[in-house]
Amino acid sequence: MSAPIALATGLRKRFGARLLLAIDRLEVEEGRTYILTGPNGSGKTTLLRILAGLEHADAGEVRLRGAAVYVHQQPYLFHTSLRHNLEYGLKCRRVPAGERARRVEDAIAWAGLRGQLGTPPAAFSGGEKQRAALARARALRPELMLLDEPTSNLDKEGRAQTLALLAQLRDERSTVIVACHDEELIALPGTTRLRLDNARISAEAS
Amino acid sequence: MNLLEPTRRAFALLAAGDPRLVEAIWLSFWTSLVAIAIIAPPAIALGFLLAKRRFPGQRAIVVLVQALLSFPTVVIGLVIYLLLSRRGPLGFMELLFTPTAIILGYTMIAFPILVVFTISAVQGADARIYETARCLGAGRVRASATTLREVRFGVLAAVVNGFGRVISEVGAAIMVGGNIEGLTRNIPTAIALETSKGDFAQGIALGLVLMTVALGVNIALALLQGRGGLR
Repeated sequence: MSAPIALATGLRKRFGARLLLAIDRLEVEEGRTYILTGPNGSGKTTLLRILAGLEHADAGEVRLRGAAVYVHQQPYLFHTSLRHNLEYGLKCRRVPAGERARRVEDAIAWAGLRGQLGTPPAAFSGGEKQRAALARARALRPELMLLDEPTSNLDKEGRAQTLALLAQLRDERSTVIVACHDEELIALPGTTRLRLDNARISAEAS
Repeated sequence: MNLLEPTRRAFALLAAGDPRLVEAIWLSFWTSLVAIAIIAPPAIALGFLLAKRRFPGQRAIVVLVQALLSFPTVVIGLVIYLLLSRRGPLGFMELLFTPTAIILGYTMIAFPILVVFTISAVQGADARIYETARCLGAGRVRASATTLREVRFGVLAAVVNGFGRVISEVGAAIMVGGNIEGLTRNIPTAIALETSKGDFAQGIALGLVLMTVALGVNIALALLQGRGGLR
């Protein structure tokens, strides 16, 4: 068995007097989609942010094999163009121009956003923004994608399109952790359910 | 006092391209633009740092810069005068009563405006901008530059306000420029001089130019911000 993509040990995170996270061990295996559930305020977002390196735990260690990309619940698209948004991370990671162009075209097609190339991202619908952000993250081919409630605040159509993309990520065997409350997403077959409750995490295959 | 006649003469002077007017207008423009071009990069960088980073003395620096906003420009002029005067520490450079001295004064006047407006723009920036950039692989400098680009209309407002402030500034310009015709006489110092001489037509003509500049710059900024809001 290969080494996990992410390994968190002894994680502790407090907010004031409240112990938000007390995770002794969390292994994220390559090629799996994890659905992270738990009550509101149970620390799902905080856990994803710690894994992404956006927040620090009070104690414990996170080891990542490769890069993790975190996508906000309401993703931010730069006020430039869709193409620039998709290219941004590729330029940061010095992906050569030819390969970059191929990945951008692939991302546009994958997210079904070819019709939106001339539209400023600020004018996108919630679903289009979410799909663009997922495509932007996927274009980087990160070792781990951390998605924070990607189907919340979306209308029926946007939600269905986002669910379809998440199913594709699962089929492509991307390593993904999705924090969510969405019943349909929780029931997505072929995923591993993680439950965060009272600061502890437990796993269960679905 | 009858204002109609001097106003009519003011328009006639403008229409005729009176050389004294043109000289003062040209000097005002180029010295203001050069001063803003020099001071904008460091002031914007400092504003960004003060808005985003926490370090010892940061609060004190912010308070100091805010205090500089209400500093009398004539005192800034006095400080530069003392520095540049023949017996001052920089007297050997012989810059007093030159456009360079005016530019120096303008940079000091614009600096706190640019810093404070940049702090305001960056503090108002969505925290997701920096986080998104970092997650996508940007280093700290690139993520900071991306944040500045996303709040570019706020930063542009800082630059426009700085420009508007210095092009209409009179205290420091008179003190360190000396109001020498053909060399350091700019729009506001010319207005002060012509008015004291009773030549209201010149004063009104230059005042019209200043007001047109202020209006034009702010309309341009509003249009840009409008475009930004739609994006």
